[in-house]
This record gives sequence, C-alpha cells and structure tokens, in this order.
Amino acid sequence: MAVGLVIVSHSARLAEGVVELAEQMAHGNVRIIAAGGTDDGALGTSLMKVTQAIFTADSGDGVAVLVDLGSAALVAEMALEQFATARRQRVRISNGPLVEGAVVAAVEAAVGASLDEVVTSADAAVELNKLSKRT
Amino acid sequence: MATIQKTLILMNKVGLHARPASLFVQTAAQFTSTITVTSNGRVANAKRILPVLQLGAEYGAELMVVAEGDDATEAIDALTNLVHSRFGESE
Repeated sequence: MAVGLVIVSHSARLAEGVVELAEQMAHGNVRIIAAGGTDDGALGTSLMKVTQAIFTADSGDGVAVLVDLGSAALVAEMALEQFATARRQRVRISNGPLVEGAVVAAVEAAVGASLDEVVTSADAAVELNKLSKRT
Repeated sequence: MATIQKTLILMNKVGLHARPASLFVQTAAQFTSTITVTSNGRVANAKRILPVLQLGAEYGAELMVVAEGDDATEAIDALTNLVHSRFGESE
C-alpha cells in the first residue's frame, strides 16, 4: 500500500478541502483522511476524530499527520500518546504547512516513499516559493 | 543499460507546478531508471516532488530530462508524451 495521511484542522470544511486537493495529486493511491472540527461540528479539534482518522489512514506503512494551528498539533500528539508502541512508531506529525505539506506528502506517498521521506518532504515544503519571481 | 537525454519545452500554461509536477513525478516513478530533470540551472531527482517544484519551471521553460537505466527509453517516451500533451490541460 502506501503511507497514509491525516489532515487535522480546526475547520471540518478546511480539512475536507485539503483532502480534496491532496487526493487529486495522489490519484486515489493514498488514504487521505480528514479530521476537522469538534465532535459536534463546531470550530476546534477532536481527539476522537483524530484518533479514528489515524486508524483509518493506517494500512501498515505508517501515517503522516498534517496540522493547521496550535491545538491541532497538541491533539495529534495526544492521539499518539494513547497508541501502543508499534503503532506510535509508525505515526509522525509534520511541522510543515498544511496545504503545501499535504500536497507534497500525497505525491511522495503515491510514489511509494517511506514514512520518513514523506514527513521530511512535508516539513521541507515550507521552503517552497509561492511567487514565481523568488525562486 | 542506456542513458537517454532529451530537452522538452513546457507548453502548458501554468508550468511545472502542483498538478503537472505531481503527474511528472508519478510518471517518472513508474520506471526503475535514474531520472533527473534540469531547468533554470537546477537539477532535480524527477521522482521527488519537492525538488521538481523547486525548479520553478514555467511556461516556455526548457526541461532537460536524463534517464539512465534499463527502461530509460520508455521513461523518456512517457515523460515526453506527458509534456507534449500539456499534462492534459485544455490550453
């Protein structure tokens, strides 16, 4: 299979939009799961949603978790802490930007990169220039 | 083993960004050959999305693609077709 991705955002719609974008890049070859909003659909993050998304995204090759802001990373870290060692070792949280990181991670995962390569690339996506004249 | 080199011109409007770059990388990754792509004086591993995006190759840019390996010919053909088809973009 491939490394799976989890997109954690305070907004369910934002998470779903990032999944939509990343899926188009990966052409359906990667499990990309949204974990956005609270359990009752408000803005915020949900430990339960993030935990379930990690389980769904994990095909055995590992999961890279992309987060938007602040507590999204905290909730992702809390999710990891409750896992048994074997699963925890194949889940990594990226410090990369949500959109660029997710797109880069999706393509890396689609071509069979390892979890380490996927996360390293997603982290490094912060260096991408958005404006063409600054490359 | 063969080494094949080909220069391609990007004729799709947005250049080698997001979606086209991801198609390019995923096409290259289907082959066992080592493939590099050079543009604007930068060299990238054609199978890795980040370096390919960092080429910053835009409309009209020259891409020099070099493939080395048993399936180098097939790899260059596939990448040539992709670039010539403008990555499936309508214009």
